[in-house]
Amino acid sequence: MRVESQPAYVLHVRAWRETSLLLEAFTRDFGRVGLVARGVRGARARLPRSLLEPMQALRLGWSGRGELQTLTTAEPDGPVHALRGDALLSALYVNELLVRLVARNDPHPGLFDRYAALLGELAEGPLLAWRLRCFERDLLAALGYAMQLGTAADTGAAIDPDATYDYLPEQGAVAAGSHPGGVRVRGSALLALDSGALPIAEDLAALRRLMRMLIGTHVGERGLQSWRVLAGPLRSG
Amino acid sequence: MTGNPDLLAELVEALRCLPGVGAKSAQRMAFHLLERDREGGARLSRVLGDAMQRIGHCKACRNFSERDECAICANASRDASLLCVVETPADLLAIEQATGYRGRYFVLMGRLSPLDGMGPQELGAGLLQQRLASGEIAEMVIATNPTVEGEATAHWLGQLARAAGVRATRLAHGVPLGGELEYVDRGTLAHAFGTRLTME
Ligand SMILES: [Zn+2]
Repeated sequence: MRVESQPAYVLHVRAWRETSLLLEAFTRDFGRVGLVARGVRGARARLPRSLLEPMQALRLGWSGRGELQTLTTAEPDGPVHALRGDALLSALYVNELLVRLVARNDPHPGLFDRYAALLGELAEGPLLAWRLRCFERDLLAALGYAMQLGTAADTGAAIDPDATYDYLPEQGAVAAGSHPGGVRVRGSALLALDSGALPIAEDLAALRRLMRMLIGTHVGERGLQSWRVLAGPLRSG
Repeated sequence: MTGNPDLLAELVEALRCLPGVGAKSAQRMAFHLLERDREGGARLSRVLGDAMQRIGHCKACRNFSERDECAICANASRDASLLCVVETPADLLAIEQATGYRGRYFVLMGRLSPLDGMGPQELGAGLLQQRLASGEIAEMVIATNPTVEGEATAHWLGQLARAAGVRATRLAHGVPLGGELEYVDRGTLAHAFGTRLTME
């Protein structure tokens, strides 16, 4: 198979052998793909190394089949995002989310566009934590695990902003204390995440715990490395 | 040969642990040593054995060292108020060879990278914080690579310095000397433009 000029972002780069790189890329029409970029390190590299850094809008071409294909072309596809500080750390976290949750060679064009938009939002600076929560909500939905945020799972009634719920990974929101497990949240937090309207700080903190629990059920016992690695460095996420 | 008929095959296989050495070059190396340079081969095996046994990490800067404290850290004529933080021993050597830097170093042995499982603990955060808290250091020079992960590492290092009340500086990066703007890659040019300096 030969692919040309495919919109893509590099999620992760690893040095491979003497002069090559292993890329984990997220592409619009082919989903996450593993690519070998040969001869791109060292003084005689045939592509500038900076072009293959994560989080830049690119057009990639590749050929081959299977788990690891060969990068043939790479071109920039838009200006370079100036991600710095906490925004950069947030983007590293999102990249790990995509690598761990999105299967290889499984296309998600909607999620791709959502990711591209998120990088722009993160570059703008404020509200990093809230932007991450909204992305996590959309990521779960794209993978077929959409959250049920508008109605209670046990009664089917509309979520009451002033009531307290336990959100269970399989079912959704149930009256607080009625089932074991889950993460305790106020109805107002669920409704904020449902509508995308910025919640109060206390609700935002509860949503962080909630999303972490939900993501945890999908990434397995080991959890995300970012939770440990970025816990100190990332203050706002 | 009668005792262990596979020794030659084992040697070839062992040589393949070297970077860039495939089956063919490993075989060539093995034959070269056996046919033409047994003395060199014996020396290699002796030094390699010693090095693997005795080279550890400096207790102050984490660089490779056969002693508790490496030669740079033990050198009293180096400026103890300057601490340059690098990702790898190779980066340290590059700075030593290219600049007149006379301060000390801290080697992270990696960079902040969630997907590679590299976090503060792996990068020696505890030891670095101790050194920053010692009151001896006036400036921390952050010399991580200008990659996404190097930038993330620099951001984190800056936070550590701020928490310890130590001034942090970062290597400038931009258009290479002798380069022409037309041929400089976009990322580098965008970065150089974003961090332009006031003319004195
Ligand atoms: Zn040392």
